[in-house]
Amino acid sequence: MSKEILTGNELTSGAAVYLSASGEWVEPLQSARLFSKEEVAERDAALAATKAGGRVISLEIEEVDEVDGQIVPKRLRERIRAAGPTAPLTLNGQAYDRQHLGEDGHVSI
Amino acid sequence: MYRYDEFDAAFVAGRTAQFADQVKRRLSGELTEDQFRPLRLMNGLYLQLHAYMLRVAVPYGTLSSRQMRKLAHIARVYDRGYGHFTTRQNIQYNWPKLKDIPVILDELASVEMHAIQTSGNCIRNVTTDQFAGAAADEIIDPRPVAEILRQWSSLHPEFSYLPRKFKIAITGAPHDRAAIRFHDIGLQAAVNAAGDVGWEVWVGGGLGRTPMIAKLINSFVPNEHLLAYLESIMRVYNRYGRRDNKYKARIKILVHEEGLETIKGQVEAEFAEVRGGVLTLPSEEVDRISAYFALPDFAPQSLTKIDVAYESIVDAAYGRWLDNNINAHAQPGYASVTVSLKPVGGAPGDATDTQMEVVADLAEKYSHDELRVTHEQNLVLPHVALADLRAVFDALVAAELAEGNNNLITDMICCPGLDFCALANARSIPIAQEISKKFAEPARQKEIGELKIKISGCINACGHHHVGHIGILGVEKKGGELYQITLGGDATEHASVGKIIGPGFEAENVPGAIEKLVDFYIAQRQGTEETFIQAYRRLGEAPFKEALYGTA
Repeated sequence: MSKEILTGNELTSGAAVYLSASGEWVEPLQSARLFSKEEVAERDAALAATKAGGRVISLEIEEVDEVDGQIVPKRLRERIRAAGPTAPLTLNGQAYDRQHLGEDGHVSI
Repeated sequence: MYRYDEFDAAFVAGRTAQFADQVKRRLSGELTEDQFRPLRLMNGLYLQLHAYMLRVAVPYGTLSSRQMRKLAHIARVYDRGYGHFTTRQNIQYNWPKLKDIPVILDELASVEMHAIQTSGNCIRNVTTDQFAGAAADEIIDPRPVAEILRQWSSLHPEFSYLPRKFKIAITGAPHDRAAIRFHDIGLQAAVNAAGDVGWEVWVGGGLGRTPMIAKLINSFVPNEHLLAYLESIMRVYNRYGRRDNKYKARIKILVHEEGLETIKGQVEAEFAEVRGGVLTLPSEEVDRISAYFALPDFAPQSLTKIDVAYESIVDAAYGRWLDNNINAHAQPGYASVTVSLKPVGGAPGDATDTQMEVVADLAEKYSHDELRVTHEQNLVLPHVALADLRAVFDALVAAELAEGNNNLITDMICCPGLDFCALANARSIPIAQEISKKFAEPARQKEIGELKIKISGCINACGHHHVGHIGILGVEKKGGELYQITLGGDATEHASVGKIIGPGFEAENVPGAIEKLVDFYIAQRQGTEETFIQAYRRLGEAPFKEALYGTA
């Protein structure tokens, strides 16, 4: 059964971040807190608190599946957002890395 | 090139300082995101999938080497060492940090650049022919008028909150290299019976979810009244353009729904009011601005022709480059050089900081310090002596910028797609990369000849798929990506909108589908002179559909 995670972009770096079980906004998708359908109130409270804090923007609720213990977003858009662009960079053939948080980018609710 | 006067410098400096303060207040928490978002968008700062994206205006696609070096510097210091040149002749940085934006804008202001009006419902950067002021077929250099339009439209108080964004393109040549019929307003130089040069005005063109070819609203507007006429159009649009539905808010919808004659009547009524007033262009002011765009002092050249056939035998890569990437110049002994940003397997339109510096150096040394950005996501050295072409080519080879593929199948327009863009439904860059790998062989590209493939990752059509000879539109279907193929689009004076030819394809099958279409064209064409688009127009859609799907 699918669950939900909370995601957004950290204000200073713009990096994609996920709300963790400990209430911090972190880079790894796999650290995201999973909300069940029964946890709508907690989910919405976390969203409201984050919005009030103003340090994580473009907040979204994403549906995910758990596949072999891994969190897998249902939408391709979100899978790309979590991992970074898929297309190799001109010339050196390396994939683009995702954006990372800066020193001032660590946010808790 | 144009240089800022005190008014330009003051408004850019004022706006840069204002936005620096807004960023500071956002970071301190004094401004909420809801308050800050419209402010950052007015300054070209978007939030995309992975990070912020800063879109920097390149006025009518013209850059000096100093400006290009600054763009390279910004890429290296504040971004990831590359920039993405766009179909709007602008450059986008994909990875800037919010705290760095004020200093980036300061850096840009130091070379007379900014990111103002690269977003929002205002008049955007005016675009033009990349060979303006150089092309052999040009009636008039459109850059002075483009500059006047820039000055008129910058921070225009009446047109800062239009129903929707507004794009103007202008060309001084009969061969339309600026896609003017797919802009909200398109301007094409025209000569009247008295021999005066003025402007054909086209209105209501556009791409996106409702592609429209612009309609000719006036076949000759004298240069001195152009601003008054454009302001009249803008007023009619601002008054009657729909604000209830963003998908119906562009002027193309207004013109389509009301009819050209109705809109023309309204524009003429407005024009009758404002004509001859403060918007009349004084000839001395036109002359003053035109002087900035005076042609360089071209040294006479003894070499006025290159034997491309001979050069091709000696060095095939150089021959290909001469064949495809050189455009005829008005000045004997000179040519305009297209610097391809479409390496095989690369991301169309991307250039590294080092590459930008190489091109800047070449512009300084060989092209009278001038550069252009094309709407097809390449760069141009507009004024190169034929005698210097070999040296330019060699330098481009060393910088991996010497792909001789201009206007060929691998010279694709491609939007950033779902790899970067928050609006996209499907990826575009990997599709372009796979197509270019499939057709990488130079002999194969030459055999195919001119063929424009344009790829968009969503219906907003930033990749101009509607006007590709072959267009590719990525859509979302059942959680995955699917690619629709259109045929028959054309962005030139023979404007046409491509038609979807049949069911879409999975990503891995797109290059094969393109190959089927190409093979069919080659089998059916009436000699190598008949291009893909000409053959499509002669044969019609059905046989191409049959070739692709096996059913008529």
